Amino acid sequence: MRSVMDRLGAREASAEPVTVDDITVMPRSRALLVRLPKGGLVWNRPTAVLVERDGQARRIPIIDVTRILQVSLLGLAVLMAAASASLFGSRHRTGGAA
Amino acid sequence: MTDTSHASPDEAASLIDRAGEQAPKMLEKIFAAAQPGAVFGQPVESGSYTLITASEVTSGGGFGVGMGRGPAPKPDARQSPPAEAAPPAGRQSIGGSGFGGGGGSMARPVAIIAIGPNGVTVRPVVDVTKVALAALTASAAMLGLGRAIRKAAKGKG
Repeated sequence: MRSVMDRLGAREASAEPVTVDDITVMPRSRALLVRLPKGGLVWNRPTAVLVERDGQARRIPIIDVTRILQVSLLGLAVLMAAASASLFGSRHRTGGAA
Repeated sequence: MTDTSHASPDEAASLIDRAGEQAPKMLEKIFAAAQPGAVFGQPVESGSYTLITASEVTSGGGFGVGMGRGPAPKPDARQSPPAEAAPPAGRQSIGGSGFGGGGGSMARPVAIIAIGPNGVTVRPVVDVTKVALAALTASAAMLGLGRAIRKAAKGKG
């Protein structure tokens, strides 16, 4: 288990801040690292933007709309498949009992 | 990719050493994608707006090393090899070794950060092709399942 945890890692980091007039923007990203004995994999994605203006800090999340739509469609397909299978199963059982 | 035939154990060890030297460089390149600089682009000014692109970056790769030794094949009596190709006396085995690797990376735009006179806005980037493909795949899977259920119901009835 420990070796698995050593091989997997998540890292959150901030990019270089960008200042425009009185606004300072600091983009943040989260990276998932998989270290293998003879290779590796990195999945890095943006998470949020930290905005500082007039001494006040605000966090704006970065939402991956494409990924949400893809996962939603997949979830819908799985749900409909499960519902169809369950409906067919119940009808079959009822028909068999009659 | 490297392949050696009739490699001596020393040559194979040298090859593995060279592969060992290349491996950290390759891993360094793969893990460079974990830096925030790989995700966020350089700010671009357009009129009164400053734009920063935010992308999802995926990178991966691997390598492998292998070597082996085995008995030298006996010369075929029907096809006598030329004299210079004959194995030297006392050499009973031949071997080979090789190393290879590969990798790749992919980036997909997720959002655009716009800094303007009205403040900061994050505008999502929707990949219509990916969404349409996912919708088509889901519809096809559901149609296929529906057809299979109808067929099974007919068979039982």
